[in-house]
Amino acid sequence: MTFAVTSVSKVYGATRALSSITLELRPGEIVGLIGTNGAGKSTLIKILSGATAPTSGTLSYEGRPLAFAGPLDAQAAGVQTVHQNIDDGVVPGASVAENLTLDSPAGRGWFVTRARVRAAASSVAPGLALPLDAPVESLPASARQQIVIARALARRARLLILDEPTSTLSEVEATALAAQVKEAASQGVAVLYVSHRLSEIETLCDRVAVLRDGELVATFTAPLSREPIVTAMLGPLTAPPTTPPTAPPTAPPTAPPTAPPTATRGATPTAPPGAVAGVASFRDAPAGEGLAGGREVLVAEGVRAVARGRAFGLRVRAGAVLGVTGLVGAGKSELLEQLGGARPLLSGRLLLDGEPYRPKDPRAAIGRGVVFAPEERAAQAIVPGWSVRAHVTLPWLRRHSRSGLLTRRSETAAARHVIDLFGVRGPGHDAPIEALSGGNQQKVVLGRWLAGDPRLLVLDEPFRGVDVAARADIGRVVRDRARESAVVVATSDPQELRGLADRVLVLYEGSAVGELPIAEATPERLAALMSGTPPQRPAAPMSGTPPQRPAALMSGTPPDHLAAPASEHLPEPPHEGSA
Amino acid sequence: MTVTVTDAGPDATSSSRRAASRVAAVAYRYGLLGVLVVMLVVFSLLRPAFATYPNALIVLQSVAVVGIVALGVTVSMTTGGFDLSAGACVGAVVMVTALTMVRFNLTGATAVVAGLLTGLLVAAVNVLLTVVAKVPDLVATLGTLFLFQGLALIVTGGQSVAPGMTVDGAPAPGRYTEGFAWLGGGTIASVPVPVVVFALLAALVYVLLNHTRWGRALYAIGGNPEAARLAGIRVARYRALAYAVSGVCAAVAGILLSARLGRGDVGAGDPYLLQSVAAALIGFAVLGANRPNALGTVVGALFIGVMINGMTMLNAPYYAQTFVQGALLVGALVTSYTLRRIS
Repeated sequence: MTFAVTSVSKVYGATRALSSITLELRPGEIVGLIGTNGAGKSTLIKILSGATAPTSGTLSYEGRPLAFAGPLDAQAAGVQTVHQNIDDGVVPGASVAENLTLDSPAGRGWFVTRARVRAAASSVAPGLALPLDAPVESLPASARQQIVIARALARRARLLILDEPTSTLSEVEATALAAQVKEAASQGVAVLYVSHRLSEIETLCDRVAVLRDGELVATFTAPLSREPIVTAMLGPLTAPPTTPPTAPPTAPPTAPPTAPPTATRGATPTAPPGAVAGVASFRDAPAGEGLAGGREVLVAEGVRAVARGRAFGLRVRAGAVLGVTGLVGAGKSELLEQLGGARPLLSGRLLLDGEPYRPKDPRAAIGRGVVFAPEERAAQAIVPGWSVRAHVTLPWLRRHSRSGLLTRRSETAAARHVIDLFGVRGPGHDAPIEALSGGNQQKVVLGRWLAGDPRLLVLDEPFRGVDVAARADIGRVVRDRARESAVVVATSDPQELRGLADRVLVLYEGSAVGELPIAEATPERLAALMSGTPPQRPAAPMSGTPPQRPAALMSGTPPDHLAAPASEHLPEPPHEGSA
Repeated sequence: MTVTVTDAGPDATSSSRRAASRVAAVAYRYGLLGVLVVMLVVFSLLRPAFATYPNALIVLQSVAVVGIVALGVTVSMTTGGFDLSAGACVGAVVMVTALTMVRFNLTGATAVVAGLLTGLLVAAVNVLLTVVAKVPDLVATLGTLFLFQGLALIVTGGQSVAPGMTVDGAPAPGRYTEGFAWLGGGTIASVPVPVVVFALLAALVYVLLNHTRWGRALYAIGGNPEAARLAGIRVARYRALAYAVSGVCAAVAGILLSARLGRGDVGAGDPYLLQSVAAALIGFAVLGANRPNALGTVVGALFIGVMINGMTMLNAPYYAQTFVQGALLVGALVTSYTLRRIS
């Protein structure tokens, strides 16, 4: 009765999205699937739900191979997937009963009557305590989620895939969902539970599979603890992260780096506070300079990342880069958008160079010298079909106007400046921005903000979807820029902060849980903070699985027994139900 | 030789595909202009009277009002909006100008001001609905269309406003002033005034959209409103600006139409919405712009004018005109949406 994923790989063009994943999903077991953005979670879900076929490897159920031509095949085989966006799964305007019975509105027969719909709905979800006649949009998100899950289970589900089911739910609502998922598992359904919320994974799952860069790097069996999971997710923080050997020189010739790019990378746990052990490639000045010197450009008091988070304060100095990190959903974007005027300040107050600062929109922030580069390049920064030049000048159109008319020469000069500064490679400033690679597009939409001589640069995931060479270019310019401005950079991959940031602020589920100099941001401390583990408590040793000694994880690559396809090596989950 | 023959197989198919896509690219950019030129040549050959200066002025005169409305609609489209109320605005302005002079016996200048204010009032309602109340543009301006069509009927008691009409048992005191009538029937160096106004407005809108930061901001909002907002553009303000320009254009068109008609006809503005929208949409296909643009809109308006004029000269029945305009619009839409993908 087991779904088995055996050596499944998926290749898209030149990208290897999944490499040889082997995983068993047993009846009655809730398996957590976790990994950072781009780790391959979505690809694995797509393969399991029949939306795409694996490049190699097989799926099987009770030893019989499964080949899905499409999602309907997967559903027929008992694989039911509940996607992240709840409202994709309900029909607004219809009642709860109608939504529960979408698959067969009135059982048999031609006519749909209210009584028949109610009867059918009760058989779909006998245990669901929801008002059957209420319009579905009058229910809270969690109840709508319950409807979608109940419908999925009613389709004789053998494997239930929940893709970030709680991403739009509050904590209380998430608890109700957990009960429903446990109930499903107790009926013998195998559950694959994808979430970024570690607390849920910890309490709900019997087993956790960790994906990183398309590989299954570890599985853990209950009882679970967060810290090793995060360590496995993030990977060896000590590996050279941002500068490939083939990258162009990372500092201008006039100011050679104080250390060779990779020699001093990899802070050791014993490094004293303030030491320059974390210094790496982007730096052309010692890290201590940024920490000590420079006025306080931004002071935040009593701010919150999200409404349910705790209030905290932060300070950013001129000449310094503050890194903000945390898992997906920790509230990084929400915090940065408040700083950049893209969303209203939730609470507290901000001071910019000592003056009160409360931007009502991005324009007001720009007027005060604060520029914000958003996370989603395509959705938030790119105007389809526009040239590179027009993207560069869009925030500064007034400057490029003379007596009301835009001057082409001045626009071209600005675009050329960005192209030269970042080493943008592509067909030139007149070409549509879509003609550039993702990394070069990112250079353009980041580079345009430097033209304003900003006091504070707020960059949300500047390295998202960017190749290593472009990463190096971007990191170099940002670091160089930080000699004059203050910089805040958010990323869910703390590796990207190595050699770029001076201090690291860690967010966990909407609250700030720690801020430390980069030299003290050791892999295990970051993992502890990002996973919400209280800093005083050492990682609790885990019973059941041997490999959880933190020392083994932080030393670089995970031990072999973690990287190996785990289902063959790990003991059965504590409760029965496996075939 | 055999080697080259076997190699020619795939090469030939791929090169023919490339050729097809090149043809599509040319058709996409120049197709519509080409059809316009062909039409001009054919009409000229069949009816020598077509290719004369007086007839050219007639064609231009006939498209001036539609063209001006279309320029406004074009601007409203740049931000991703859509001003469906433009035709109703024209009608309302015709009635207001007629009332001002005929019923209230005021000057032509007052009538012009009243007309422009009416256009701004329509724009204000549109802005209130779309920007403030956040009703989708298409349905909001549809509502405004009905509102102002109805309002024009209410203020005139559902009747046309003509000099000498009876008001409360007595003849109306005023009439169209000579200066106002000149706007519709006068000429400047033998060119009809509406044509001169159309040309001036076309140039203004072209410069606004292509060479000013305001035009750039309008297009940015139409392309990606969130990116525009994050780049520091005041989106609400520019969306309001777009509707204001559209309202003023419709008002100018209404003033010229009123002056030409010499009376306030109920429903005078009705045909102008669909024709102006057609002109603006045809404009998408001119020179591969694939977005609302002033030059394309002018070409689109001329296209419609030339076709109607030529067909009239060829004694085609008047009732075939709507169908031909529809065919023209469909052809232009296929050009801008389908050929672009092939090329």
